[in-house]
Amino acid sequence: MTLYNSVAPPAGDRRTAMQKIAAALEPWLYSAPVLILIVAIMLVPLALGVSYAFRDIRLLNPFSGGFVGLAHFRELAADSAFRGALVNTLWWTFSSVILQFLFGLILALLLNRPFRGRALAQALCFLPWAVPSFLSGLDWAWMFNPVVGPIPHWLTALGLMAEPSNILADPDVAMWGPIAANVWWGIPFFAITMLAALQAIPKDLYEAAEIDGAGPVERFRSITVPFLAPTMAISILLRTVWIANFADLIIVMTNGGPADRTQIVASYIFTQAFRRLDFGYASAIALVLLVLLLAYSMLIVALRQTMMSRQ
Amino acid sequence: MASITIQSVSKSFGAVSVLRDIDLSIADGEFVVLVGPSGCGKSTLLRMIAGLEDITGGEIRIDGRRVNEVAPKDRDIAMVFQSYALYPHMSVADNMSYSLRLRKTAKERIAEAVRAAAGKLGLDPLLERRPRALSGGQRQRVAMGRAIVRHPKAFLFDEPLSNLDARLREQMRAEIKRLHKAIGATSVYVTHDQIEAMTLADRIVAMHGGIIQQVGDPLDLYDRPANLFVAGFIGSPAMNFIDGACRGGAVEPHDGSRIPLPAGLKAAEGQAVTVGVRPEHVRIVGAAEPGSHTARVDLVEPTGFGTIVHVRLLGEDLKIYTLDRAAARVGGPLHIMLDGERLHVFDRETTQRLG
Repeated sequence: MTLYNSVAPPAGDRRTAMQKIAAALEPWLYSAPVLILIVAIMLVPLALGVSYAFRDIRLLNPFSGGFVGLAHFRELAADSAFRGALVNTLWWTFSSVILQFLFGLILALLLNRPFRGRALAQALCFLPWAVPSFLSGLDWAWMFNPVVGPIPHWLTALGLMAEPSNILADPDVAMWGPIAANVWWGIPFFAITMLAALQAIPKDLYEAAEIDGAGPVERFRSITVPFLAPTMAISILLRTVWIANFADLIIVMTNGGPADRTQIVASYIFTQAFRRLDFGYASAIALVLLVLLLAYSMLIVALRQTMMSRQ
Repeated sequence: MASITIQSVSKSFGAVSVLRDIDLSIADGEFVVLVGPSGCGKSTLLRMIAGLEDITGGEIRIDGRRVNEVAPKDRDIAMVFQSYALYPHMSVADNMSYSLRLRKTAKERIAEAVRAAAGKLGLDPLLERRPRALSGGQRQRVAMGRAIVRHPKAFLFDEPLSNLDARLREQMRAEIKRLHKAIGATSVYVTHDQIEAMTLADRIVAMHGGIIQQVGDPLDLYDRPANLFVAGFIGSPAMNFIDGACRGGAVEPHDGSRIPLPAGLKAAEGQAVTVGVRPEHVRIVGAAEPGSHTARVDLVEPTGFGTIVHVRLLGEDLKIYTLDRAAARVGGPLHIMLDGERLHVFDRETTQRLG
């Protein structure tokens, strides 16, 4: 549009004022439908949500709704449950992402070599992705339950557990329950993206390296990794933001317990909003999470830019 | 530098046999070109020499050592790929020095080897660039540089010029030939382009259907093709073929005319043969004379230096290559002479050369 306007009218422009206004408005009118749609479905809810953070909105209190300024944020700064949730979020997010990434990469490398029945194996490996997250959360909760599930008995047999008990009920290790479910559920995402990137690497590069004298490890290091790096960076970034916001499994499996030991920020927001029905406070927490994730994304994008420019 | 010996080598992918009983000896310092249409097995044979494909049967020796079970990196060969296969995240210098670095060569020796190779190929100003900042011809040179820094026993080329445009291909062809003269390394070169084969080779190996059809000097293959396949494959425009039967020292095509046989050629009376004549060996005569044929001009293709004239003769499309631009006019008659001494005669059944 700047281009449009910068084409200066010839000297002695004889158009009327009306025509000039119409010409200036024209591009805006063309893009109006899309702009209105974006404003209506993205900006309005966002602004509304942000405004809640500065207002006292409790569904059970009919007299609430007034402007409270930064009161929610002051309360948040002193809220030890929130601080605990922040730490748990880091723990939950990074262990899930790292494990998903490692297993996903290994799976992609396995699926990238030809073997009989590969098409079937690929289809099967991508199945967890199709399972609704609530359903997989329920399944895993049952599998960790010593009454109906096998996992506690296996862990006992392996000597990792003194007697079959539910790890979801043990404050020290409860977080590993949702993480295990999340890893199982999220591996296919990495496997699919890594497999696509692997298949885009030209085969003769490996052959040239083989003739040049590179062994399997060296070929992985000097060809596979550099080729996968951009895909790795972008998929890890996406997944990190996604998982930090992903409370389904935790809500279903532990509901943040025991003793808030599996409470992450996203599940804390859910608890505040839909259990305590304090939408104002929940919005304030959500705003903080949004700012943290934005900062993280900026960091990763900047990192990627420097990596790309170095190449 | 080394000799390469290929002994009754065969290759099959599952039930599909792509190479059958290949025997070939390549002398030290020789430039051998494997040529044939796509699917003839030439690239597979090259990849077997490199160690990128298993050998189903037979034996390959490099410098006298059996290499069937030897990994590619231990065969001491270098290969230039059609796609160049340069490492995109490494600079030109790093691409060239990669194999030496893997072999833990001393830094000064690597620098020296890269400098020498870059000098030979005119790559000095490009050493710090990445492959994507290079033109096709420059990438091709880097790929060759990567091969020569190591001083391998043999160079393998897999259609290295196919991705270049015609002019660049001509230029690189001459450069490869010059480089081979300078280095003198044993080279095996795969191409489907018979001009590349003719110009580069000390010896051509013509392949078809997984079998070696003929091995020989380039001009030998041109002058005395061993069978119909080689006759049709070598030479451009391609050789003309006329079917007929031998009768009384001449070939009679089905229209009853007679083409005299080369002197000394022995063919059984009534034997079914195919007569081949190269377009450049068909003589145009001014007027009908004894033994000449008269044909109608179908198409004229000027190539600049010469002209390709297509005529209909004996129901076949016959091509004539002439330097006389004014010789033919489309639709007009043309008197041509097929000289017995310039003819190639093949048994139609076995497709092998007679005489």
